[in-house]
Parts: sequence; C-alpha cells; structure tokens
Amino acid sequence: MREALALMRAQWLTIASYRLQMLFSIAGLLVSVVPIYFVSHALQPMMATSIKNQGEEYFAFVVIGLIAYAFISTATGALHASFSSDIGNGSLEAVLATPVSMPALLLGMLGQAFSWTALRTCMLLVGASALGAHIVWSHALVAAVVLALTTLAYVPLGIVAAALVLAFRTTGPFPTAVTAASMLLGGVYYPTSAIPSWLALASKAVPLTYGLRALRRTFIDGAPLSAVAGDLAVLCGFAIVLFAVGLTAFSMAWTYARRAGTLAQY
Amino acid sequence: MSTVAFAPAHAAPAPAAARSAFVQIDDVSKRFVVRRAWADIVAHPFSRTYTQALSGVSFGVTEGEFFGILGPNGAGKTTLFKILATLVIPDTGYATINGRDVVHDVHFVRQQLVPVVADERSLRWRLSAFENMRLYAALYRVPRPSVTRRIGELLEVVDLANTGERLVGQFSSGMKQRLLIARALLASPRVLLLDEPTRGLDPLSARSLRTFLKDEICRKQGCTIVLATHNAEEAFDLCDRVAILAEGKVLTTGPARRLADEFADERYRVWTRTFDLAAFERLANLGMVLDINPRGQDADGWATLEVQVPGGHGGAARVLEALVADRVEIARFERVQPSLAELLERVQRRAKEAEHA
Repeated sequence: MREALALMRAQWLTIASYRLQMLFSIAGLLVSVVPIYFVSHALQPMMATSIKNQGEEYFAFVVIGLIAYAFISTATGALHASFSSDIGNGSLEAVLATPVSMPALLLGMLGQAFSWTALRTCMLLVGASALGAHIVWSHALVAAVVLALTTLAYVPLGIVAAALVLAFRTTGPFPTAVTAASMLLGGVYYPTSAIPSWLALASKAVPLTYGLRALRRTFIDGAPLSAVAGDLAVLCGFAIVLFAVGLTAFSMAWTYARRAGTLAQY
Repeated sequence: MSTVAFAPAHAAPAPAAARSAFVQIDDVSKRFVVRRAWADIVAHPFSRTYTQALSGVSFGVTEGEFFGILGPNGAGKTTLFKILATLVIPDTGYATINGRDVVHDVHFVRQQLVPVVADERSLRWRLSAFENMRLYAALYRVPRPSVTRRIGELLEVVDLANTGERLVGQFSSGMKQRLLIARALLASPRVLLLDEPTRGLDPLSARSLRTFLKDEICRKQGCTIVLATHNAEEAFDLCDRVAILAEGKVLTTGPARRLADEFADERYRVWTRTFDLAAFERLANLGMVLDINPRGQDADGWATLEVQVPGGHGGAARVLEALVADRVEIARFERVQPSLAELLERVQRRAKEAEHA
C-alpha cells in the first residue's frame, strides 16, 4: 500500500507541476456543465416519460451518466496510458526493477487517475447541484458503493489494455471499443429502454447498463441499496469473471515481454 | 543472425550445483527476434530471424567483489544486466543471486540487487531530486522514520545536498547520473549493477565517482559491484576481476591486474632528449622490447617513440633500467592504453593461438 501511495503521490506531483494545464482542465469542466444544463432542459419534455423510474429529471440523469462514464473511461484507459507513458519516458524499467508487488504497482499507476476523476466528479456534481439538478445527497454513500462496483467491473478491461501495451506496444481499438459500446448500450444519454429491441440484448452484456440503472435509482430517485441488489449482484459477477480474464492476460503479457526482452522497450 | 526455431522455454529453477558464487551465471544464452521489413514478412510469413545477444556466458562473482564486464557496444552487457535484474528471461542457462534463481525468485532477487542503468530518462524530471528519492525509498521499503535522513545522507554523498529541492529536469547530465547512483543506494543493495556509470561525466566527476564506488560502496559497505563498461582503463583500474565480452561470448575472465599485464600494459611511450635508436635496437636484440616505433621530435628537441615491452611491470622496469644505464636521457616513460578494439583483437588472437597450441 505504501508503494502504491508513493506512486500516486509522484504522479500527482508531476501533474500538479503543469499548473496552467491543471487550472484549464478544472475551469473547462465547470464551464461544460452549463451547456449540458440548457440542452437537458430543452429535451426534458421528450425524455420525462422514458426516464420516470430513474428520477424523471433529464439534467440529473445525464450528469449521473457522464460521471459513471468518466469513471469507466478512467478504469479502461488510465492504466495503459500510464504504462505507455512510463515506457516512453523510461521510468517503467526502473520501477519494475524494485521489489514492488504487481498489485501495488497497478494500484499506484491507477490511483492518481481515479483520484483526479473523483475530484472532477465532485466538482461536476456541485456545479450541477448549483444549477438545480435533483440529487439525493443523503444517498451519496450508497451511490459511491454502486459507482465503485461499476468501476470495478471495468478495471479488468483496463488491465487487458495494459497487457496489450506491455506485449505489443498498442491497445489497438480495444479501449475505445469498450467505452464506445458502453456509451452506446449502457444508457449514458438515454435509458436502455430506448435502445431498439435488436440491440437490447447486447446492452445486457454491458456492465454500465446495470451500474447506471442502480446509480440513478439510488442517487436521483432515492431508492435504498436493497432495491438495486439485483443489479449489484450482476456487477459483482462481471467483476469476478473479468478480473480473472484481465489478470490472466496481464500475466501472459508480462511473461511474453520478459521473454522477448521488450518489457521496457519503447 | 540465423533463422531457427524458438528455443525451449526456461522452466526449471537453477540446480543447486549452479549456486556457488554470490552472482552466478551459468551457460546463459539469449537471442532476440529481429524486426523485419514488411516485404520480408509477406514473402516469408512463418520464418523468423534472430540476433544472438548472449551465447553460453558463464562466470561467478564472489561477495564483496568489484567485477567488471568489458566489451564494446552490442557485446551483450546490457542484456546480461537485464537478465540479472529479472527484466529478461534467458533462453537457456541459469543466473542466480545469493543462490536464488533470477527467473523464479524475482521478488527475492529484486531485494538483493539494484541495477543502475545510465539512463537519465528513468528519473522523473518534473519532480525534485528529493521527491525522486522519496518515491524510490517507498518502492525499496526503506523504513519510514529513516527516509528523510537516508535521502539527506545519500544526496550529501553524491554532492547533491544543496540541489535536493531543484527539479531534476534542471540538472546537468552529471548531476542526473549521480542522482541515479544515490537512488540505487537507497535500497542498501547487496549487489549493484552499474551500466557505464561514468558515461557523460567529466573526468574529475568520473574519477570521484569511481573512488566513491570502490572505497565507500565496495570496500566499506561490502556491496558486490558488477560494472559494465567499454572503457578498458576503467575496468582494469577499478575492478578486482574482469570478464571480456564480445559478440555475446566471454572471451576471457581473470584478475584485472593479470589481464591488464597480459593485454593492456605492453605498450609504452618514451620521451627522450638523446634520441638513440641503437640503444633501443640493442634491447630489441635481447628481446626486452618489440616493435620500436619513432613518433617524431617536438620544437624543444624532445623525441618520442613507442615500444612494446613484454613482461608486464617487471619488464618495463628492466627496460627503463637498461636505458638509463645506456645513458639515454629519459624525461617520461609511460604506459599507453590500447583502444578497446586493439584489446579485443589481442584477446581474440591469444584465444586462437591457445586453440591452435
């Protein structure tokens, strides 16, 4: 854990050293809430009936969708980006030569990206709340649990992407395909009930479908955790199966790179 | 380069017989797939071309020894270091650190050994020297209460104490190099792998670093050091023993002094006022000098010539004594370091001669 925290701290300090970039990123996020607010209000009459069991308010619906999407994007994209960057700048080899354990290394490489996403999410929520989004703050902890489980189902896909970088120096279209499919089928901007019937079956294979439904029901509608237990169970199932796949892929890529001598080659 | 099938995977741990020295390398071979042009891939989709990086490399390093691996670029030094550092798996053979296999006991080996690759990029340039050290103190599990003190001591040792708060990106190459050494020492390793540690350093800094490594790290702290270099003088002056590596093979291994006497110390440059070629020719007839090579005369009248003196230091002393007795006025008499290419040529020639004999 100490090693993971040290890696996170180093990444934070590196990012914070680009001060102007960090300020622009925060300012951009705050400004982006405003157009979402106006577009949501324009679409509210059209969407109200289809989202009535998920809070009825389209602005809050979209904000929650975007927050979940930000987390799954981080889960899918941060690790391979971190590996690529560390291979490129030559620091991966030095880190790998230390006795740091693999879970600590993965956690350390992901930690900063997740804490940054969490910070941005909090700011987005505060901004949306200030603009009148209906959010049940008393269920924040329950929502955090749902969000964590949703994210956990996507982390293994990020590990697969990192394995691809380790073995082949590219992820190909894999992370983009995962996030695009999740956005399309998981209900970020519209409820999954709006998806044509021939695609509805595919949406059941996307963890975000269950995560977003549970998140909106608890955080916008105020439903208790027990009301979304079914969705959470499915998310747990996804996480367990995908973690097995992700860790196997990573282990294979690790051995392949050590054998091919390309572990730290850029 | 050759086109052959994949070698069998390195599967079993090193046998007990292979675990004698502190750092033991037994018959290690490694080859890498060569990247091919698209046209070649299309024409021969199933063939692979390999480059042999290491071929049956064997040697042992005892605990507390300063061991040098001397070889030109592409000799296989870095591959060997990466194998010892657990970053590359050998195709065949075994490497052990303190009796534990580098392929199977990765965690143990990484606690014992730290590689110092002279690659400044491995530092985090947007962090200060102190923060770089702090990160690695955590990765090497330096006890928390002593982290700040240990970093301070090491920065002091490498003469960076006053620049600890500066961003590494603002450091000179020499400063970065010293920081890499300090970073490696954080772990108090039992084995330090140094890949061309004085590359990019000015002569003074290089000398100070060599003295520090030999006296402080190796002698006082008892750390085993394996140094890879293409600088023959550095290898022979600094190391207890040296292995000469070329094209992935160990050409010879032995005490640095003996190898230096045998391969490097033969050529001497003589500065003389009374240029008496006859005196040298007399010595040549006695077999005391070989290959007399006059180099010319400067404006002040000092002539220089180079001679080959067999017999190491003793031979050189006898030649000097004979010249003085012959009333040849000698201003300087110094050893000429051969280039690495010359040295390798001599080693290879000797190996062939021994083979024929």
